[in-house]
Amino acid sequence: MSAAVDGELTLNEQEGFEKHIMKCPTCFSEFKEAQKTKSIIKEKITRFKAPQSLVNSILKLTETPL
Amino acid sequence: MNIYRIKNMSSSPHKKNAPAQKNILSEKEKIKQQEFQEEAVGHINALYNYALHLTMNPDDAHDLVQETYLKAYKFFDSFEKGTNCKAWLFKILKNNYINKFRKNAREPGKVDYDLIKDFYHSIKDTQSDSEDLNAGYFRSLMHDEVYQALNSLPEEFKEVIQLCDIEGFTYEEIANMVESPIGTVRSRLYRGRKLLRSKLNEFAKKHGYNTDNEETP
Repeated sequence: MSAAVDGELTLNEQEGFEKHIMKCPTCFSEFKEAQKTKSIIKEKITRFKAPQSLVNSILKLTETPL
Repeated sequence: MNIYRIKNMSSSPHKKNAPAQKNILSEKEKIKQQEFQEEAVGHINALYNYALHLTMNPDDAHDLVQETYLKAYKFFDSFEKGTNCKAWLFKILKNNYINKFRKNAREPGKVDYDLIKDFYHSIKDTQSDSEDLNAGYFRSLMHDEVYQALNSLPEEFKEVIQLCDIEGFTYEEIANMVESPIGTVRSRLYRGRKLLRSKLNEFAKKHGYNTDNEETP
């Protein structure tokens, strides 16, 4: 189920999975729910930008010989 | 000055050099610097967010990312070209975090909501000038609740969900990062999402969101 949600199935497995969920309402519903959960996390978790001071210090680091 | 001497100097320019020359890179270092900037520096935002999730503290996250890049730059020769540099950096950051912070960290699975609240406030203060920060978006209750729901999961579930859904790593990359077989990653994702779903549903009901799945036959 997770592998289907995350696109980690092989082509054959994917085909088999799709055939199955068209016949099985329980798995279909679980698949949709898992997909929804994944997209909520993906979209709703706030992302922060690294502070400029941190970016500068990293860039400076690569300008200095070790 | 003979050739040998010149060669020697360029391979270790930080030693015995006049102050004016101390920041001059050798050709080899210039190439390394350029490759590092192209491959690694672009992942700084993702690393910073991961570090924030792990440490729950902007200052610690700052230090952790800095140390990660320092280490990565130093050992950049050991990075296998053509593989995922972001995954390599995440692994270094995670190891650094374990060595540095985890011994004193909270117990996995336990959530300190005050800590999360403090974290949001402190990060908001730190980043208040950031043009990327949309204050309305940030304050949205929905986002806080999703964040809290994710954070309330046991550590091993939270971790794989973060790496998979937020950072977009493959199962193989995640398995390597968390040092567990792919089958374990898969089952943790399955169980973690199920747990998360029930927490999100609770929240959605509480706030009047529609939780019905219209596509269910």
